[in-house]
Amino acid sequence: MSAARDKDAALRSFEAAWHARPEDRIAATRADAMRRFLALGLPSPRDESWRHTNLRALASRPFADAEPASSTRTSWLAGVCADPIALVNGRPSPTALGRTGDPALSIETLRASIDRDPASLAARLASIGDAESERWALLNRALFVDGLHVRIAGRVAAPLLIVHCAETSRDDAAVHSRVLVDVAAGAEATIIEHHLGGSGRATLVNHATQLHLAPGASVEHYRVFSGDARTTQFDALEITQAADSRCRQFTVALGGALLRANLSGRLDAPGAEHDSYSLLVGHGARQVDCVNAIVHAASRTTSRQTARALAAGTSRVIFNSRVLVEAGTAGAASNQSSRGLLLSPTAEIDARPQLEILADDVKCAHGATTGRLDPNMLFYLLARGIDRAAAQTLLIYAFLDDLLTGMSIPGARRAIEEALIEELPGADLLRAYR
Amino acid sequence: MLKISQLRANVAGRNILKGVDLEVHAGEVHAIMGPNGSGKSTLVQVLAGREDYEITGGSVVFDGADLLAMPAEQRARHGLFLGFQYPVEIPGVNNAYLLKAALNAKRKAAGLPEVDAYEFLSLIKAKMKFMGMDESFLSRGVNEGFSGGEKKRNEILQMLVLEPKLALLDETDSGLDIDALKVVAKGVNSLRAADRSIVLVTHYQRLLDYVEPDRVHVFADGRILKSGDKSLALELEARGYDWLREGRVA
Repeated sequence: MSAARDKDAALRSFEAAWHARPEDRIAATRADAMRRFLALGLPSPRDESWRHTNLRALASRPFADAEPASSTRTSWLAGVCADPIALVNGRPSPTALGRTGDPALSIETLRASIDRDPASLAARLASIGDAESERWALLNRALFVDGLHVRIAGRVAAPLLIVHCAETSRDDAAVHSRVLVDVAAGAEATIIEHHLGGSGRATLVNHATQLHLAPGASVEHYRVFSGDARTTQFDALEITQAADSRCRQFTVALGGALLRANLSGRLDAPGAEHDSYSLLVGHGARQVDCVNAIVHAASRTTSRQTARALAAGTSRVIFNSRVLVEAGTAGAASNQSSRGLLLSPTAEIDARPQLEILADDVKCAHGATTGRLDPNMLFYLLARGIDRAAAQTLLIYAFLDDLLTGMSIPGARRAIEEALIEELPGADLLRAYR
Repeated sequence: MLKISQLRANVAGRNILKGVDLEVHAGEVHAIMGPNGSGKSTLVQVLAGREDYEITGGSVVFDGADLLAMPAEQRARHGLFLGFQYPVEIPGVNNAYLLKAALNAKRKAAGLPEVDAYEFLSLIKAKMKFMGMDESFLSRGVNEGFSGGEKKRNEILQMLVLEPKLALLDETDSGLDIDALKVVAKGVNSLRAADRSIVLVTHYQRLLDYVEPDRVHVFADGRILKSGDKSLALELEARGYDWLREGRVA
């Protein structure tokens, strides 16, 4: 059977990559992850959380690790941070490390961190990837080549920018990388991860980030995806929050052929607050599949999820959000708001908020709507002499307003708006509007 | 300024306008009165270019041009203004931007450069003061969270900024208290000019106490049944509409 027709080619290639890897100090947890991944296989539409995203074409392609490389590409978010850290093919560039003049911020390679304390790192790395929907995170645990371990010990004023990119001349390259962020009690930081994806090659990027907030910590985290039309990206984000911690998370999907972005949040102690914002833009033939799962595991915990999805061309945007309020968590509050805007008759948006409440005395709400541009709004603008394309663009932009105004880093917001505008018609008008 | 001949239109397959004839000369103020559901709002929406209303016959000449051949945005730039009966809320688009974009669209069509930012701000502030509006309006979303009265004032503000040749005001007086009505009337009166025409669609005589019309038309069953001077409005107020519909038109 030729490789092209082998429906398990991807799986076999991952297994081969695993066997080829030199053993490191967390070999046991990697082996456990690989064993489970192989037993489960790649997700298929039969798996509930993969109903809308068919990986059959990807499953029949063999992949090989992307080689170490350097990159000359820069992030359009670079303006927010004096010295961004680049990860090329999952490996941090050596110049970027040990940088920080800020005593509250320390950054090392994940490999260095593992070598110093393999036992606790092995446990930490294993927490993500237990659920069926986190299968790519299992594979990530088995295969990540490197990444970063970021520790925030106090208030870090300047945003930290981490730029992920894949550089390869092959069409079968895969990148597996991981970032750990530990935010100490009472510490504060803004962390921006920008995924640039591949550059003209059919690249698979499988990344995972784990973010832990100790009591009273406060974090604003962004993950921005702007991969090219040949990038397939799987991204798993795990956020665990201790008492009275606050997390604001922005997921911004602007690029890539296929993007699957998981967010798994866990509010472990009273007073923890989680806000997540998902800005999902589909155009061309792209598919954006975003899955959020928030667990309220303690009383007086709060979560709010806001999603805005746009779909043009023949694109498909999926937003599944699930909130689980565990038993005995009095005073938990959650809200899920999802709105979709269809910009073409051939585009599709599937939004499904789910709520599972096992406790009493909780306040939970959810809502999802999807539609087209409001003809009354459009007519109003036309009747004021604004041309059609501009009016449509303006309404699209207005639709995203709630989400953009939630971004508290002006530089990040401006850059994200600019990139977003590039994807929309009537870019000049929108620039004037800002 | 405006000449409507035998205009017919359908809304959702139903024939609403059944042959409207109306001529409005420059400098005139006309009032169109009539019972609910008679087609008054449909008429002004058709004139403003609402696309989902199907025109099945007739013609409209506006300032020498074939109005029906123009898309809505071009009609606006050509000097037609519709003050909406129910101004829509557009969260996320702010009032200042809308005003500026609308003004610039009109200027561009007239071959003028874009309005200078400082000039625009002083213009807008003067107009807002005239309309008794708070400056915080500018940074709010278009009509977002506005009361009924604030929405109507905002329509008049837009009209004052855009200085149209022809203003169609669709029940701009409905839902207003007496003070708001006076402000709106003041705005409308300030725009009266020899080279400008105004068409007021209204249910009640009340607005006409403040804005004196040159002509009054009674609209019923999709056409103009009777026209007269302002005394017709008083007669309607006294007798209602039924006497006209029962075919006792003199």
